[in-house]
Parts: sequence; C-alpha cells; structure tokens
Amino acid sequence: MTPANAGPGQPRRPRRPAGRRLLALVWLWLLWIMLWGSLRATVVVGGLLVAVGVLTAFRMPPMRNRLTLRPLRLVRLTGHMLVDLAVSAVSVGWAAVRHGPRAPAAVIEVELAENSDLLIATTAYLTTMTPGTLVLEIDRERRLLYVHALPVPGQDAVDAQRRAVSAAERVAARAIRDSENRRTF
Amino acid sequence: MRAALDVLSAVLLLTGAAFCVLTAVGVLRFPDPVCRLHAAAKAQTLGVLLILGGTACQVSAHHIVSLALVAVFQLATVPVVGQVVGRTAYRTGAVHRESLVADELEARLAEDERGG
Repeated sequence: MTPANAGPGQPRRPRRPAGRRLLALVWLWLLWIMLWGSLRATVVVGGLLVAVGVLTAFRMPPMRNRLTLRPLRLVRLTGHMLVDLAVSAVSVGWAAVRHGPRAPAAVIEVELAENSDLLIATTAYLTTMTPGTLVLEIDRERRLLYVHALPVPGQDAVDAQRRAVSAAERVAARAIRDSENRRTF
Repeated sequence: MRAALDVLSAVLLLTGAAFCVLTAVGVLRFPDPVCRLHAAAKAQTLGVLLILGGTACQVSAHHIVSLALVAVFQLATVPVVGQVVGRTAYRTGAVHRESLVADELEARLAEDERGG
C-alpha cells in the first residue's frame, strides 16, 4: 500500500530484522530470569535455551518499517495512560452505581489520520484505556475504529468521545514515528 | 519509615479492593457483555495495579520484580482481551443494539454484507 511496504527489495536495512530478533532474544531471556528470580547457572542457561527455542518455533513476521521512538514522549504517553486508566476506572464505577442496567451506550465510528499498524494498535490500546471507550472493531483497510462508549447521554457526548480518540491518536503519533506511516511530519 | 510504608500500603490495598468491588458491581448491573467489559477492563485493571503497589511496599526488593511483571502483563493483555471479546459479543448479537444511543457499526456491517 505504501512505498515502505512495496517489497523485499529494500536497500540499506538488510540487518534490521536480525537486530530485532536479538532484542527479542535478550528480552525473553531476561524475562525468564526475572520469573525465576535467581541467577543460578541452570536458570541462566535454561533461559537462553528456552528463548532460542521460542524464537525458532514462533517466527514473527519481519517488520520492514523504520521506527523512531522518542523516550521522553513515551514516558509522557505512559503517564497519560495511567492517569486515563484511573479516571476511567472511577467513571465506569460511577456509571455502574448510578445508571446500572440503563447505562446509555453507543457504538461510534472514528476515522484515523495515521496509516501504520503500530500506530493504529497503539491508538486502539490508548482508546481502551481512556475513560468511557472500548475498541470493538478495527477496520485496518479503511482506517476506521469502531468504539463502544459508555456512558453517552447524547449526541454531544458522542462527539466528545470521537475527539478523545483523535487526541489519543495524536499523542501516540507524537511518541512514535513509523516509516510505514503515510503522513509526513 | 516503617509506619509510613504500612499506611501507604494499607491505602493502596484498600483503594484497590474498592475498585475490584466496583468492577463486581459493574459486572452485575450493566446490561450487556460489552458494558461489563468496560468495568472489567478499567476498574479491575486499576484495582489489580493498586493491590500490586500495596503488596510491593511490604515485600523484599527481590519480589518486586515479579510484581512489576504482573503489572506489565496485566496492562499489555487487558485491552487485547477487551477488543476480542467485545468484537465477538457485537457480532454474535449479544449487545442490546436497540438500547444504544447511536450505532455506526451496524450500518457498516450491513453494507459490507450487501457488497459481498
């Protein structure tokens, strides 16, 4: 669809997938050691073997796009996410007590501006964490999110939720740059 | 120091428990699976995170790593489960569509069906 997806004949980054696989290996290895909570030789060696085994058995599709992460903005993104989670927990709890079985809900279509798997996934994630919204359906082709919103007393609230999803998308796009993205910044 | 940690951990544990109770109220009172998912995805996640925080104040540094891992995986998996279950619930007709204030997905699905 986009030039970055055009095919395997991409010059300049033949070694990227190997680097990413190494990163995955190190993460799995660390995870194993953290789960065991010890540095005994059997755990360390066994962890390496398990990590290699998992990566060979479950091949991930190669990602050909170039990612630029902005650490400071990622931290801000995480902070936003935690605050949103707290607010949404309070709001959904209040809705449960206040409205209960007659909670007014709506399914809203939101058009996305970005065109990258990772950004759409991040937006969907943030949307589920933000107050009142839960992603029901992702239409990757048309770049549409279908969001279940609760509580939605009227049309004003529908528009407000639509704007909230777009805002989440902008926060994500500011923290992550993806060469697959059609938009140029 | 000890007393301050105890107070902090008590506050975190009790708030976490309160959010878990709110989740239970939501699961009981909301009308359909997707609304219940809202409660399970948000209030429950926050409740578990707070309880993990409260526990972290009481255990040795050695165990905090595992608690942090639980928190990370909780945050990573809950939205995915929410989306998959929500999608299934909507498509199998478990959602009270007539009670929705607006439903923009219904029109799209009907259109896709006509288009083949």
